[in-house]
Amino acid sequence: MKNRTNDSFSPLTLTLFALVTAATLIFCVCLGSVRIPLGDTVTVLWRALRGQELPDSSAVPIILNVRLPRVLCVMLTGASLALCGASMQGLLKNSLADGSTLGVSTGASLGAALAIAFGITLPQIPFAGTMVMAILFAFLSLMVILTLAYRLDYSLSTNTIILLGVIFSMFVSSILSLVITFASDKVKNIVFWTMGSLSGSSYANALVLLAVLMICSLVLLGLSRELNAFAIGEDNARHVGVNVRRTKLVVLITVSVLIGVCVSIGGSIGFVGLVTPHMVRLITGPNHKRLLPACMFGGATFLMLCDLAARMLLSPLELPIGVVTSLIGAVVFVFIYARARQGREI
Amino acid sequence: MKSKLKHFRILSLLLAMCLMAGLLSGCQTKAEPENKSITITDMTGREITLEEPATRVVALSAADCEILYAVGAGDTLVGRGEYCDYPAEVLNVPSVQSGYETNIEQIIELKPQVLLMSTMAQTEEQVKALEDAGIKVVVSDAQNIEGVYQSITMIGDLMGKSEEAAKVVEGMKNTFKEVSGNESLQGKTVYFEVSPLEYGLWTAGKNTFMDEIAQMMGLKNCFDDVEGWGEISEEQVLERNPDIIVTISMYFGEGPTPVEEIMGRAGWENVTAVKDSKILNLQNNELSRPAPRLADGAKMLYDFASGK
Repeated sequence: MKNRTNDSFSPLTLTLFALVTAATLIFCVCLGSVRIPLGDTVTVLWRALRGQELPDSSAVPIILNVRLPRVLCVMLTGASLALCGASMQGLLKNSLADGSTLGVSTGASLGAALAIAFGITLPQIPFAGTMVMAILFAFLSLMVILTLAYRLDYSLSTNTIILLGVIFSMFVSSILSLVITFASDKVKNIVFWTMGSLSGSSYANALVLLAVLMICSLVLLGLSRELNAFAIGEDNARHVGVNVRRTKLVVLITVSVLIGVCVSIGGSIGFVGLVTPHMVRLITGPNHKRLLPACMFGGATFLMLCDLAARMLLSPLELPIGVVTSLIGAVVFVFIYARARQGREI
Repeated sequence: MKSKLKHFRILSLLLAMCLMAGLLSGCQTKAEPENKSITITDMTGREITLEEPATRVVALSAADCEILYAVGAGDTLVGRGEYCDYPAEVLNVPSVQSGYETNIEQIIELKPQVLLMSTMAQTEEQVKALEDAGIKVVVSDAQNIEGVYQSITMIGDLMGKSEEAAKVVEGMKNTFKEVSGNESLQGKTVYFEVSPLEYGLWTAGKNTFMDEIAQMMGLKNCFDDVEGWGEISEEQVLERNPDIIVTISMYFGEGPTPVEEIMGRAGWENVTAVKDSKILNLQNNELSRPAPRLADGAKMLYDFASGK
């Protein structure tokens, strides 16, 4: 275990992960609420890729304008949320840390709801108002929780942070209800929004997600070594020469941006960020150099499959994706947690 | 032959109405001095007796508020549910919480004789607490247009405005008759959009007012395989390719209007309704509330669909 000379993934392993994710992507594009023969799907995709003329059927817009952008957005959201979860779990040395348990997603939701309620928009760019507010509130939430946690318990123990997160979540939810009460004419919009939906995702959304994820993942992956040190303990990190304050701030800001963007596009989706790192850890072990990239692929695959279930199970009805992730996530989490406890103390 | 029969039917109906109205008014003038007490059966089958027509009413549901105004009893309203917004005067009436947040104290404080509410969210305990405070609780529960007639008649009786209520019902029936049976609309498909794409598409399926009104006109609701309101897949809308789209999204004056937003959706270019610009935006709950304005909504949809 000690002194592994090269502890990041070999290109071969990475390619393998990428292949699995890509296969899931194609699988999810081929299946959906409307049944389109596999051959047609492949033809449409192939022709679109090569810029050839497309056949004149309803399958074309269904695949190219509805399914593909949605699955892409789901994939990127899954990758982002899992990366956030893994980074926060490492940074806070806390296996329960995640955007949803810490109240960051709820905070982001509040920001977005405020943007809707008060009609905060940036000129020209349609959903930018919601996005900026979501990011801002995600960051503020993290700051509030961590400041309180430091005041109460300098060692930032698991219990303190989770307890504060839960309380903060409830507090923010009640403010959200308050906003909904006061903004009664727009209440319908906010209610629908808080239920979270990735339907109506566009390529523009996917592009934003991709850009943000690329920048943020570079930052976070670049901090793998520091996160490894943090995972043993903050003091330990300081001893081995990590700039604790700076690392922490950078990770927290990056995570807020990622969660804020995800929430503003797809609403708050629970359990992905919490469960995926635990599942992935079973394969990769705790080293962040392996864990973080593997989590991105794992989260993407997990969320794409959940979304597929949400789209297919009750067709033509659609389930909120959060329902599926929570159902699967909660069960898987309990299972993994129980098994890990039996083996060794976490 | 058929239309003659129809005319005859209408005529006889009107005649019967006149007779009834005459009888009723006759009765009233006779009975007024001694006994003004009113007994009605509400829509959960409970019998309610009032000494005299109610003069102080709290109505929790927006539809009941609309009915009160429609039968000319709007001035008796001393409190309204927070979502009541039509007609505009209703906004001057003190608002109370409704639905799951119904607050008994607020209602008791307004000292109404009657509380009108729907069965949606109130518990039996709440009803009992109100009755213990001496407030008669009258429940309206219209699930279809027949039910709306019933609740209008019931509220009319309750307020001593039976004739006005009958007129309102009659007016609705006439409008509905006017909009049904147009050959050119037969078999056309309509898709009702309850929430815009951004929040996930919700539609009104079977057993909704929208569906009932569409059927009446001979239109086919694209999602009549969905029960009630439900979130549906965007793919399905494209696949089912509606001829007409009705959106009830509200517009707050910023960004594209709901119609423009639908017209601009990627991949919707080939949907017939989008190609023909057959998208109607009904912003004021005309088609979703069990109230007299259902007829207005039906007329708007009819005029739009038949291209008037």
